[in-house]
Amino acid sequence: MKSLLLLNGSPRGERSNSMKMLSRVAEGWVRGGGAQPELLHIVRRGQFQRAVEAFAAADVVLLGMPLYTDAMPAIVMAYIEALAPRVAAARAGECNPTLAFLVQGGFPEAAHSRPLERYLAKLAVRLGAPYAGTIVRGGGEALQAMPEQANKKLWMRLTILGEQLARDGRFGPAELKAVAGIERFSRFGVLLASLACKVPAIQFYWDGMLKKNGARGQRFAAPYGPAFEE
Amino acid sequence: MRITILNGEPDPTSAFDAYQALLADRLQALGHTVEKLDLRALEIKGCSGCFGCWVKTPGECIKRDESATICRAAISSDLLLLASPMTMGFTTALLKRAADQMIPILHPYFVVEGGEIHHRARYAHYPKLGLLVGAGLDTDAEDIEIATAMWRRMARDMKSTLAFTAVADRAAEEMANEIALAA
Repeated sequence: MKSLLLLNGSPRGERSNSMKMLSRVAEGWVRGGGAQPELLHIVRRGQFQRAVEAFAAADVVLLGMPLYTDAMPAIVMAYIEALAPRVAAARAGECNPTLAFLVQGGFPEAAHSRPLERYLAKLAVRLGAPYAGTIVRGGGEALQAMPEQANKKLWMRLTILGEQLARDGRFGPAELKAVAGIERFSRFGVLLASLACKVPAIQFYWDGMLKKNGARGQRFAAPYGPAFEE
Repeated sequence: MRITILNGEPDPTSAFDAYQALLADRLQALGHTVEKLDLRALEIKGCSGCFGCWVKTPGECIKRDESATICRAAISSDLLLLASPMTMGFTTALLKRAADQMIPILHPYFVVEGGEIHHRARYAHYPKLGLLVGAGLDTDAEDIEIATAMWRRMARDMKSTLAFTAVADRAAEEMANEIALAA
């Protein structure tokens, strides 16, 4: 049975959208015949260290993360920096585990995450590691707000991807494409989205939280310079 | 032009660090106002994705650290120069930690810009971004291209543009002239 090191790179740790998605992939991994994964949240200091130490011995490493300012969160980059000795090890003839990634962005379109996907593919090359692919999915922030039923299809796709990883050692291209959802808005989609942004209800997600915190009155605060005015 | 250098070099004894000091001098000699923020010396706790800066204390991080220094410097600059050695094919985690902490300068509301969903501006003015990297032994052209692509997206999200990516492989004086032209 192949071993899987399951790394959650979300700064939110256990209660993150990345973790929600990763657990479905892990479910599929086990269903596909992989061993029960070792799960580590790298935002926790002790687990970060363990994740560095356990890297080389795993058959497959799946590292999941949210998109932070259009790239990996700083904690994930710190982890990647800690893997630098594995580049030298690979050059000296040692093997590195198969690398698989999951990137989920807050915006609905998958396109925002593509440069990071490109980076991760190159990281596998740098580490001399087989590359299993990157699951890219937009709209991740909406996951917690959605009723469980609404995410059913996504969970199913993620489970299939996990099965593929265990069975074939890589994610299937068709399933990766399907799980990505909206890549970019069509012209019509742009028009609809532009209109939707003008409707107060669409900003309800933020307004609701602002109100709850008694901060809605200060929502346009600009403490460091002249405020933007529409 | 007001220039803030966000120095993402963790090692104060490195040649890249010395290069930035020289570059700052040359830029000042050209008449620009330069502030160099050594990120390794600032206490930045790291963004935990709580959105407090959007929904609890709008415009400011709820954590008590020095990330406000970065946001303030960014908003009052014409050019934000992101300076970092290339490590594992990208700029450092130190620089990324600063970038993650910059989301308070945006507003959470959604807008459509350039056919994509982005966040609304909070400020009337944002700095241009420039990327200055110190190439490592294993840095290749593709690494620079990928890092540029990610920072270009970040610039777009920050209501700005990435004016240039420069590799610190020429005299600081020459670089200062090029930066002044490009920005």
